[in-house]
Amino acid sequence: MRKIRGNDVILSFVFLVLGFMLSFSYQHTKQRHPDVTDRQWQKEYEYRQLLIQAQKETSKLKNRLLQKQEQLQHSEKELADEKTAYVGLVQEVEQLRMYTGKVKVQGKGIEVTLSDASYVPNEQNAANYIVHEQHVWKVVHELLISGAEAIAINGQRISHRSYIVCNGPVIEVDGVQHAAPFVIAAIGDPHVLTSALNIVGGVKDELVDDHIVVKIASKESLVFDPVFHSK
Amino acid sequence: MWLPFIGLIVGIVLGWLTNWRIPEEYSSYLSIAVLAALDTLIGGIRAHLQHVYDESVFLTGFFFNIILAASLAFLGVHLGVDLYLAAVFAFGVRLFQNIAVIRRILLANWLKRRQKS
Repeated sequence: MRKIRGNDVILSFVFLVLGFMLSFSYQHTKQRHPDVTDRQWQKEYEYRQLLIQAQKETSKLKNRLLQKQEQLQHSEKELADEKTAYVGLVQEVEQLRMYTGKVKVQGKGIEVTLSDASYVPNEQNAANYIVHEQHVWKVVHELLISGAEAIAINGQRISHRSYIVCNGPVIEVDGVQHAAPFVIAAIGDPHVLTSALNIVGGVKDELVDDHIVVKIASKESLVFDPVFHSK
Repeated sequence: MWLPFIGLIVGIVLGWLTNWRIPEEYSSYLSIAVLAALDTLIGGIRAHLQHVYDESVFLTGFFFNIILAASLAFLGVHLGVDLYLAAVFAFGVRLFQNIAVIRRILLANWLKRRQKS
């Protein structure tokens, strides 16, 4: 009985090893070889082919997308350039409008007041003691030459097409009559303008020689209305 | 008497539950070891039926055959010759022969018993 029992133990060990190997091998083989038939292979091949085709197409489309993006970038850049150009143009237009007197302008400058002589000695010709249109002209020309950006006479803006004529006791600027004293305001560098008028033997001296009272004052802020071309 | 069967079942369960995998190139060793084990087992049954069963022969044969088959396959892989096919062939042929012998013996026993009755 005892001997048989020993046999049984050894035998059962053998069977254990056998069973282990059998089931392990079975399991291993089953997992290693999922049932792959020819048809499945073929299917897989087809699908693979389809996949490759799709990938090819994808890459082609991607390339196209990249190209388009590049184009878009290019266009955008162009557009931006144009925009900046437009902005520049707008600024330029604004500036030019300021120069031509189409818009209201504001800035620092000087104000020249020309008044008739208050003291009239015994001379017959009173015309020697009043401000004439050529005096105004002189001042305006001098101001323009020395870099005035905008000029107004008695608050009326003058443009490059303005005219100033003598009309008896008054002068006429663009059809509007003005009487003395004439306030000629100019926007520009006050130092430059004042010095230009004050040159020895210059405009101011000439005016003073003609018995005109000249007052020059620099202003921090001058506002000119646009030129009205209603007339 | 039931102990070997319990051992078999436990072995099967263990093998089934084992989770670790052996690399692909060693699977042929496993299969040939299984074949060798089966061959030895069938051989043992035949010897038992022919009353020439020897336990030590069976035991040494069981393990030695497994190791020999595996090493043969190993050698074959490294020599570039499919030696494991030879082992498969040898074991397969012996397996069939042994099974045939067992069948004949069982058949003879059965016929004898039937004649007796």
